[in-house]
Amino acid sequence: MAKHFHEIRDPIHVFIRLDSDERKVLDSRPFQRLRYIHQLGLTYLIYPGATHRRFEHSLGVMELAGKVYDIVTEPDNIAHESVRKIVPKHKEYEYRYWRRVLRMAALCHDLGHLPFSHGAEDLFPEAWDHERLTIEIVMSDELKPIWKEIKIQAEDVAKIAVGPKKYKDAAFDDWQAILSEIIVGDAFGVDRMDYLLRDSHHAGVAYGRFDHYRLIDTLRILPREETDSVEPVLGVEEGGLHSAEALLMARYFMYTQLYFHPVRRIYDIHLKDFLKSWLPNEVFPTTVEDHLRTTDNEVTASILETAGNAGTAGYKSAQSIMSRKHFRRIYQRNPEDILKNPEAAIAIFNAACDQFSAENVRADRYRQKGGSPDFPVYTTDERIISSLAISEVLTRLPVIATDYVFVSPEIRGEAEKWLEQNREAIIEPKEGE
Amino acid sequence: MERNKKAVVLLGLIEELRDNLSWCGETHIQKATYFLQEMMQVPLGFDFILYKHGPFSFDLADEITAMRADNLLKLQPQPYPYGPSILPGEASKSLMKRFPKTLKKYSHHTALVAEKLGGKKVNELERLATALYVTFENKSSGDVQRAQRIHDLKPHVSIDEALEATKTVDQFTEDSRNIIAA
Repeated sequence: MAKHFHEIRDPIHVFIRLDSDERKVLDSRPFQRLRYIHQLGLTYLIYPGATHRRFEHSLGVMELAGKVYDIVTEPDNIAHESVRKIVPKHKEYEYRYWRRVLRMAALCHDLGHLPFSHGAEDLFPEAWDHERLTIEIVMSDELKPIWKEIKIQAEDVAKIAVGPKKYKDAAFDDWQAILSEIIVGDAFGVDRMDYLLRDSHHAGVAYGRFDHYRLIDTLRILPREETDSVEPVLGVEEGGLHSAEALLMARYFMYTQLYFHPVRRIYDIHLKDFLKSWLPNEVFPTTVEDHLRTTDNEVTASILETAGNAGTAGYKSAQSIMSRKHFRRIYQRNPEDILKNPEAAIAIFNAACDQFSAENVRADRYRQKGGSPDFPVYTTDERIISSLAISEVLTRLPVIATDYVFVSPEIRGEAEKWLEQNREAIIEPKEGE
Repeated sequence: MERNKKAVVLLGLIEELRDNLSWCGETHIQKATYFLQEMMQVPLGFDFILYKHGPFSFDLADEITAMRADNLLKLQPQPYPYGPSILPGEASKSLMKRFPKTLKKYSHHTALVAEKLGGKKVNELERLATALYVTFENKSSGDVQRAQRIHDLKPHVSIDEALEATKTVDQFTEDSRNIIAA
């Protein structure tokens, strides 16, 4: 007898269970491609265990999305009448339909990732990003027959997979906004929950761990009563607040310790430099067919080959990666300089380019995305309050930001001396208009 | 508009909102910036979509967070059970000092937005910003059509409340004409 449910072993969630319809998506060409896309780009050059792929992460996101759906739609967990109006009842078709859509969206949310995931994201043509390509793939002929067969609207999957921030042409009702928040939400998105746990596990660092069992059990859909608004969002019961704090602290530590490790960041820059010489017109093509044909494997093979052929385009970048001759950090942001000039790193980068020529200098800059960790908390005395009114941890959580300036290893000593002598003059802010 | 100038305009707006007794939560800043950009035509370049509490810009939310990272803004806790205010941070004064012309150029724009919206609650701001969104969606629509559209988009806003919001927005538009033309 054919099996209708399938189990896949997973180091984070132990078992991931999926039904035969979900298995059809799993077996599709766009999803199987994710087996060859490293979750953390070239991070394995610094953390050798971090060789995991988007494939297992996407399965993990599906697993968690289903769990969150079951918790937040449970009638006993809906405390507010305005929320009851938007959540489908358990026995209704709508309830089952949206649960399937949510899990499919979770499964598909990363289909548009380029080789080496975020490492190459800057090499999309203008107005493109991996979310837009995800939408294209979900709506493409590759997956259309599956959606048709299993009676799911492709557009519903695409909307929930990328959310309103990235699917700007679509209108989201309150229910759809909540569903997309379950996947890509700023505070409690299961995408984030899975990648923190998984990246932490594979990289061998403990910073990304938090009590996700407790957190998921206490998630609730809540109106923002304290702001006189009835708009529902994902919040938490007071009993889960500490696990929510732990998630947000895990994010902070993982970014500062792992994702923004300076050597990891410079490898991303060398990879981008290499890809610019490798790609026609220095950008990735955006047709679904071209996208599906390109994985980390083709790029890695080309880096290896180029690194052995002096004089070929991209040789220097390929060598920097393969021979570990990466650029060295000479500057990183610090609170003192930021107070003097928020753009101190840019000033140092520009001055270093003038001094040592642009080909010997690289800069990296990142500022955390999303708003403050302000979500509703349902208290034990049945009030709804802001997380930032009740949690001192969240009000004091630093914003993640990084600025680095790197130089070629050959000029490192000279550049460090030069910076020591000129730093104050360089970061002195100039008058604007 | 380049990033520093954009930051200076936002800081100017927040200071004006505070002077007009605004709580300066994130929703207040979102809606005031929406009016500043769309009605007062200050070219901030934020992309607004119709989302929670009406028009919302994810770019602006990112920018506010980035400004917090650079000490240009800070979170100020408010009395229980409210969320924090977003106020100018330690590095804001020196940045504003560096861009006096930008501040002056848009001072009347920020002052009018703050005067009109500073004292409003979140649900009022949601109605007004949605009314402006609907007005831009179809400029030839009458009051009743626009009120109906607001109600369709946000069913918890009654037709009467929506009608009042469209009238308030029309008056605001009228009051802004001289400043935009100057």
